[in-house]
Amino acid sequence: MAKILIAAGKIVSQISRVLNLGNGSTWPGHIALSVNQNFIKETLRGSDIKIILIAGTNGKTTTGKLIQTILEHNGSTVFQNEAGANLVNGIASSLLLHSSILSTLPYDYAVFEVDENSLPLVLQELTPHYLILLNLFRDQLDRYGEVNTIARKWQEAVKKLPKKTTLILNADDPQIASLCHPELVSGSHPQVLYFGLDDPSLSVKTPQHAVDSNYCPNCHHKLTYKTVYFSHLGDWKCPNCSRARGPLAKISPYYPLAGVYNRYNTLAAVLTAKNIGISDKTIDSALKNFSPAFGRQEKLSVNGKSIQIFLSKNPTSFNESLRTVKELGAKNILFVLNDRIPDGRDVSWIWDIDFENFIGKNMNITISGDRCYDMGLRIKYSQILNTKYQIPNTLGDAITSALDKTPKSEILYILPTYSAMLEFRKILTGKKIL
Amino acid sequence: MIHNTKYRLIIGWLYQELMSTYGDRGNIIALQKRCEWRGINAEVLHLDSGFKIQELKKCDLLFMGGAQDMQQKIVSDDLHPPAGGEKVKVLRKMIEDGIPGLYICGAYQFLGKYYKEADETTIPGLNILDLYTENPGENHKRLIGNIVIECHPERSEGSLDSSASPQNDKETTLVGFENHGGRTYLGKNIKPLGKVLTGFGNNGIDKTEGAIYKNSFGSYLHGPILPKNPHFADHLIKLALEKKYNETIELNPLDDSLEHQAHDFVVRRNTK
Repeated sequence: MAKILIAAGKIVSQISRVLNLGNGSTWPGHIALSVNQNFIKETLRGSDIKIILIAGTNGKTTTGKLIQTILEHNGSTVFQNEAGANLVNGIASSLLLHSSILSTLPYDYAVFEVDENSLPLVLQELTPHYLILLNLFRDQLDRYGEVNTIARKWQEAVKKLPKKTTLILNADDPQIASLCHPELVSGSHPQVLYFGLDDPSLSVKTPQHAVDSNYCPNCHHKLTYKTVYFSHLGDWKCPNCSRARGPLAKISPYYPLAGVYNRYNTLAAVLTAKNIGISDKTIDSALKNFSPAFGRQEKLSVNGKSIQIFLSKNPTSFNESLRTVKELGAKNILFVLNDRIPDGRDVSWIWDIDFENFIGKNMNITISGDRCYDMGLRIKYSQILNTKYQIPNTLGDAITSALDKTPKSEILYILPTYSAMLEFRKILTGKKIL
Repeated sequence: MIHNTKYRLIIGWLYQELMSTYGDRGNIIALQKRCEWRGINAEVLHLDSGFKIQELKKCDLLFMGGAQDMQQKIVSDDLHPPAGGEKVKVLRKMIEDGIPGLYICGAYQFLGKYYKEADETTIPGLNILDLYTENPGENHKRLIGNIVIECHPERSEGSLDSSASPQNDKETTLVGFENHGGRTYLGKNIKPLGKVLTGFGNNGIDKTEGAIYKNSFGSYLHGPILPKNPHFADHLIKLALEKKYNETIELNPLDDSLEHQAHDFVVRRNTK
C-alpha cells in the first residue's frame, strides 16, 4: 500500500510543481494520509533512519539547518522537511518525497521541524530519536491559543515517550524545562539533556514587555531571575516552591549567527550533535561553514546594495531581531507587516514589541505590507522624537525607496512577517527589480 | 515632554503583568500619548498583584486587559479573595461613581456575574455589571476575526456633552480584532457598546458588542482598540477630565490621518 502511495505521491508532487500549484510540499502527504492513515508508520516500519524532531515557537528552521549541516559535515545523509511544511501532512510529504521508488528511505537522518500544535499528533505517528524543544512564546494567538495550553498538550505527549527518545530541552524557558520534571514522569522515561546560557553579559538591559511564562509551572508563584536573556528566558528560580533552572550541559561552541536567540539554536544543535557522538572538531568546522536558512539573517545583494533579512513573526522574535540589528549598527530598516493566515490574522501583537528600546533617532525607516498603517501607528506611538518613517503605496515601491535611501556602504535590514518575506523575496529574485 | 496645561490624569492599569496578552499595552500607550500631545500630564499607575487600595482610589481612568486562564485566577484571588476583599468594593464604588474605565475581553467578562467554562465549572465574577458569560464547549468554535461595530460611545450616561453628534462616519464605527471562546449575554440593566456590522460581538447571535455602564466600557475588541479608534480614546480622556475637573472639556484636535487610514482599512476590507 505504502509503495503505491509513494509512487503516486511523487507523480502528484511533480504535477503540482509543474502546474505551479504551490511548492508541492504538503499535497502529496495530504493525499497519502487520506488514502492510508497509517502512511507514516508504514513508511518508517523496518527503516533504520534516525529521526530528529524540533519544536518551539522560534528557531526551528535555523536549528534544523544547523543540525543538518553538522550531520552532513560528519558524512551522514540527511533530509529535512521544507520550512512551513511542518504539520502531519508536511512530514508525510517529506517522507514520501525522500523515499525511493522501492519505498525505502536511503538516508541516515530525517530532521523535521514541527508546528507547536501538531507536535502531539506527530508523536502519535512516529517515535523520534531526539526531540528538541526550544521555547514557547506568544505567537498567533488566533491560531495557536495560549502558551499555557500548548505547554499542557506537550506535557501529555512527552509523558508517553519511550526510553529510546532523548529529550533536548531549553533549561532557560521555565515551561520547557519543567516538561520532563522527575516529579511528573514515572517509570521508564526518556533521557533528558538541558541547554541554556551562562553569560550574564548577554542579559537584556531593560525588562521586556512580551513575557509569557514568568510564573512557576509548579506552584504558579512569580519567578525571580538572576539573569534574563530575553522575554522569560534566563536563570530562573521559584522563591515559593524552590523549583529552579537545573544544571546545564557544558558546551561552548562557535556561534555562526548574530543574536542571543541564535545562541540557543546553536546550543540545541550542538548538544544533539555531541550526544550523537560527533567530535568537537567536526562540529566546529561545520559551524564555521554554516550559511543561514531562508530569511533567517539571509544576506542578499540587489544592484550593488546589501540587504539582510530578519524574519520577525511574533513579539519575541521581533524584539530579538531589533536588538540584533541595533547591535549591528542598523541605520536603514524596512518593516513589512502582513496579516495573512501564515502571519496570523490578528496584528495586535505589534503593540507587545518594545520599539521604544530599539529605534534610534536617526534611523531611516520604511513601512509596508497589508497592515502598513497599523505598523505606522505603532512607530508613531513609540514616539521616538524625530523618527522619520515612510509608507509607500506598494511593497515594490517600499523596497525601491528603502534601497535608494541606503548608501552602498550600509545594509538595509528587512524585518518581515512570514508571508511578507515570501512576497518580497519573489519581487527581489523574480521579475520586478532584479 | 512639556505639560503646559493644568490638567493631570492618573491612569490605573490593573494587573498589567498578568492581563496583557493581546497587545493590550497599546491602549495605555494611546491614552498616554494622546494626553501628552495635548499637554495633559498623564501618569500611568501600575496596579499589579498586591497593590494598595489607596493607589486604586487615586486613579482618574482605569484600564484592564485580557489574560490566560492561569493569570486570570491569580487576579481573581487578589481582587476578589473568597474571604471577601476591600479591593473589589472600591472598584465597584468607583465604577458606580462614574470613574471612566475600559475593560477588554477577560476583564470585561470578569466584571460580570459569572463565567461558565466549557466543562460547566462556574467562576464567579465581580458582579459589577449585569451580564454573564458562558463557554458553550469545545465543539463550538472560538469567535475569531476582524470586527466592525457601529457605536456611539459619546452617548454614555456620564458624558456632560450629551448632545454630541458625530462629525463624520469615522466616528460612528469601532474596529478591532476579537478572539474569545466565551459568549456574553447582557442583562436588562446594561446597554451594549455597539451593534455588530461584521464579526461576532458578545455572543455571535444578538448582534450586540460590548457593554456600557455609566462611564465604564467593556468590549471584546483588541487590535488594540484605542490606537485605531482615536475618537474612542479621546472620549475616555474627555470623560476622565470632565469627571475630575467637573467642567466641560473640549480636547484640542490632533493630526489623526494615520489613525484614520488604519481604521478605514479595516472598515473597507470587512464591510461591503
